[in-house]
Amino acid sequence: MKIHNISRGEVFQNLITSEKGLSEEDAARRLREYGLNEIKEVRKKPLSLRFLSQFTHFLAVLLWIASAMSFLSEYLHPGGGMLTLGIAIVAVIFVNAVFTFIQEYRAEKALEALKKLLPFYVKVLRDGTEKEIQAIGVVPGDIIILSEGDKVPADARLIETNELKVNNAPLTGESEPQLRSHNSFDGDIIESPNIVFAGTTVLSGSGRAVAFATAMSTQIGRIAQLTSAVETGLSPLQKEIVRATRIVATIAAAVGIFFFSLGFLIGRSFWENFIFAIGITVALIPEGMLPTMTLSLAMGSQRMAKRKALIKTLTSVETLGAVTVICTDKTGTLTQNKMAVRRLWFDDRIFEVKDLTGDNVVELLRIAYLCNNARFLDGRYKGDPTEVGLFKVARETLGELKAERIREIPFDAERKRMTTLNAVEGKIIALSKGAAEGLLPLCDYLLINGEKVPMDETLRRKTIAVCHSLMDMGLRVLSFAYKEIERSAVAVTSSEEIEKSMILAGLIGLEDPPRPEVAEAIMKCNRAGIKIIMITGDGSRTAVAIAREIGLIKGNPVVIEGREFNQMRDRELRENLLGKEVIFARMTPKNKLRVVSILKEEGEIVAVTGDGVNDAPALKKADIGLAMGISGTDVAKEASDMILLDDNFATIVNAVEEGRTVYENIKKFVTYIFASNIPEAVPYLAYILFRIPLPLTVIQILAVDLGTDMLPALALGAEGPTPGVMKQPPRRLKERLLDLPLIVRSYLFLGPIEAFACMFGFFWVLYNGGWTLGTMLAPTDMLYLQATTACLTAIIIAQIGNVFACRSSKESIFSIGFFSNRLIFGGILLEIALQLFIVYHPFANRIFGTALLPLSVWLILIPFGVVLFLAEELRKFYVRTYRHASS
Amino acid sequence: MSCNWRGQCYNFSMYKKILAAVNEFTNSELAAHYAITLSQSCRAKLFLVFIAQEGINKNAFKQAESALERLFVEADGRGTEVESITEKGEPLQKIHSMVKSDHIDIVFTSTRREDVTKRFFVKTLAREFMLKLPCSVAMVRVVRMGKMHPKDILVPLRGEMTHLEERACFVAKLAQGFGSSVTLFHSARPITSFFHGEVHLKPSLRERHIPKDVELFTECLDRYTITHEKRIEYGGISRAITIEAAYRRNDLIIMGASERSLLRSIIRGNPVEEVLRETPCDLIILRPRHEHQ
Repeated sequence: MKIHNISRGEVFQNLITSEKGLSEEDAARRLREYGLNEIKEVRKKPLSLRFLSQFTHFLAVLLWIASAMSFLSEYLHPGGGMLTLGIAIVAVIFVNAVFTFIQEYRAEKALEALKKLLPFYVKVLRDGTEKEIQAIGVVPGDIIILSEGDKVPADARLIETNELKVNNAPLTGESEPQLRSHNSFDGDIIESPNIVFAGTTVLSGSGRAVAFATAMSTQIGRIAQLTSAVETGLSPLQKEIVRATRIVATIAAAVGIFFFSLGFLIGRSFWENFIFAIGITVALIPEGMLPTMTLSLAMGSQRMAKRKALIKTLTSVETLGAVTVICTDKTGTLTQNKMAVRRLWFDDRIFEVKDLTGDNVVELLRIAYLCNNARFLDGRYKGDPTEVGLFKVARETLGELKAERIREIPFDAERKRMTTLNAVEGKIIALSKGAAEGLLPLCDYLLINGEKVPMDETLRRKTIAVCHSLMDMGLRVLSFAYKEIERSAVAVTSSEEIEKSMILAGLIGLEDPPRPEVAEAIMKCNRAGIKIIMITGDGSRTAVAIAREIGLIKGNPVVIEGREFNQMRDRELRENLLGKEVIFARMTPKNKLRVVSILKEEGEIVAVTGDGVNDAPALKKADIGLAMGISGTDVAKEASDMILLDDNFATIVNAVEEGRTVYENIKKFVTYIFASNIPEAVPYLAYILFRIPLPLTVIQILAVDLGTDMLPALALGAEGPTPGVMKQPPRRLKERLLDLPLIVRSYLFLGPIEAFACMFGFFWVLYNGGWTLGTMLAPTDMLYLQATTACLTAIIIAQIGNVFACRSSKESIFSIGFFSNRLIFGGILLEIALQLFIVYHPFANRIFGTALLPLSVWLILIPFGVVLFLAEELRKFYVRTYRHASS
Repeated sequence: MSCNWRGQCYNFSMYKKILAAVNEFTNSELAAHYAITLSQSCRAKLFLVFIAQEGINKNAFKQAESALERLFVEADGRGTEVESITEKGEPLQKIHSMVKSDHIDIVFTSTRREDVTKRFFVKTLAREFMLKLPCSVAMVRVVRMGKMHPKDILVPLRGEMTHLEERACFVAKLAQGFGSSVTLFHSARPITSFFHGEVHLKPSLRERHIPKDVELFTECLDRYTITHEKRIEYGGISRAITIEAAYRRNDLIIMGASERSLLRSIIRGNPVEEVLRETPCDLIILRPRHEHQ
């Protein structure tokens, strides 16, 4: 026994109220019990704490220790330059924290949009008197007075109705006005006509209802709770970043501790060991990786915006590339949401629109014209797409019709039909249109060639068979019936009587044509190994036919209808979802969350489309929630990660392609950045092992990581998609950003070449300046400053060769186009400009501990960049040949 | 007392006497509905008790008396042996002595919204009942009027539990009374590794990680032939429970009382308190006192 299936008296009894409403004292007491009627956000970790947590993870802690030690040593040995280092490390911690936070931050505005659905003031009955109160003061048991234009403040059970129609679209997505009644109802509460829900609007009529749920207990409150409480978890990229930073931090800490201990054993002083430990840690940590990644994602989102996909959270850019399943709506996304009449069945034959003459189809099209709320105004058809489709064909075939509408029994989901009473040529005719299952049982006759033929079982079965055959063509089928009513009986005849014993005039099949670009987009998805699941409110036959037409299915799909879905246990649904081709028909938006949850539990990366308020939890739960930019509600848009500005499925596929490209590009610049860690670390190993002056200072390392490397790395992030990007399956969850081939390539191939270059530059300057092995130079010695500058310059030059090398992992740069990414050249120019500033400007010399370099040193070092580039070309050639041979 | 084929005996009708504390607030009346259903299901005697505190106003007294009357009629109509008691005094003291003198097995009490806004319910009557009554206590938080018959009850379970028999009996008898199905829910800490972070487990693998006490509880519940489903989720306990209840549209949550000390609750949070604050449906917090028999 629930609130919607009990009688009016029981409603009062259960909600402990009466026809006079609550007393003010009762209402005040209940307000204390149930709280204010408002949508509230569930408690979450405050933004400040979320930001602070960026300073306490493993890598940050390691860097905090390094900076604390730097400050300590500055205190113990003032003037040793450790203060600058300490400050620089703290700056690195802040830079990384800010950039990570930017990636993770997302403004939670979905609840704001939900709150706007509730009214400010509402009329209630208290102590038997009608009063206007603030909507937040409504309590369970209050009698709410509803009239045209009112927003409903709480979930309430109707006790009185007078032609009350509500717009449930914010909650259920049903755009048609819903006629409400106060009679008890057996069935699901959401479909119950005796319930009005908070956030919906009264379109016409009036009524009284008893509030039974307020605030977060309402349906809209439940959506709010799910939307704000559901957590997607870390995106695949965020997980990879965590993993990569932990690996790097562990390597840095282990190498630091090992050589620190080794230094002690071979008799190095604490001070020397300390400089080494700090240096090796800073050298091995890619300080510039997170800022570069964030900026690269931002650039990716800009590119997506140009392709009509508006990204709201930065990491979503990459998540799209990892998507394995797309759950998509049909109407408006795969199709154009423009219904057009394709086939008509009357006089026992199926006709195409072009065969209509006007004489042979009068009855059928007259119903389609008059039992219709679409209009032709200012040269345009306006109204519900299905009604517009019907009205258009009827108007264009029959011309303008004049008939006074006397009464309307509106469409509702339970009856699945609509009826109007019209005065036509002096007669009163009841005209009905609706789904075959709703209207056929009410028809006792079939109109064949102007004759009323009794509808026997054979005829009925035949009609149903025709209906199914039209549905199998992908058409939405509506049936049309009529009957004449005595003028005197109009006022006294009940709706049930009017719709009894009707004459079936025929069936009309409408098609919502697929978007032209969808078939190609689906083919791309198939090649890219992405599974597409259609979730539609349409019947299964129509859904399957459309899916077949656009190439979504080829074999025998698993088709699950809403009713069956609701009865399925998770295990059963999970097994069905494993099917290669899956279609959900007759579904409501609330079902989407369950589909998304199960797919996620199975380890899929899920993208889901949605437009209604009810879609918000699923949009939030999915790895990528895709809201419709044109037809979507504000709530859906706010809950999503990406907005499709054109509501088009093809845009999703374009965005996936962009996402995959972004991931490939991230791998490219991670290789580029990691390669420079080796020439940064080797000088420290040489320093501790061979008792030479320190070839590269920590500040110079930071100049590379956070300065010169950044722009070329960003340019790598802007590389275009490779031709095969949508021909390979989605990357596996086990595939790592920092995988073995990447580490080997950067640490054991590219890195050592760069390390050789930098050490060569350092010793070239030293030996030419008269230095001999074993001589220690003061940090301010001009020869030492020039040598470290040469070491730094060698890294920069090698990195210029490296940036070209990293543009691809296997293909030759000449095959992908040497000049195809102009930004690379811009990045290199800026890198050189920055290095010139570091080498030749006195201010930069002071900061970075550098000195002027003669041109001869540059000329000696330039070949290293070329050598690195050529070595990579050779390696790629070998990989291509080897791969070709092995395949 | 019933015995199974192995010769193990279980007390299937653990509750012989049930007391429901009623006051002028509607949620106490709604909470008492749960007591009526349990009494009917256990064939226990029901005591409907209103203790009027000093200084209670006339209207409030009248409200409580009316509630008592309505509840009496309903319980009587459902064939439950029922006694209605109105007394004046301190609710805790009076009910405490009734529990002792009448050998009450379980007391139903309700908590209001303003109670749950207080951290750890300090100085609330509901908390006093939970801590001081020498019998089991079911504290009911009513968030929604109008849903009288829960279709599906969510039962969050900890990895380690005491009083399994009584918990199972309470859940089963209420489920039988309402004809509800039961979802057993365990929220576990995610499995993590230093380098891989959170390890994703598919549901088939998750089942291998169900704690022993949850399995034992299931065994206890099986004796009552209650339809139940088992689910395991990872993440924050309270958030997982409220999301599950909202998502599955559960009508009632039954969970055990917190066993965390005040200090531990301050440091690590208190899931029971958090669920009480954010529950999307009615919630019963059970503090069991009956030992396994």
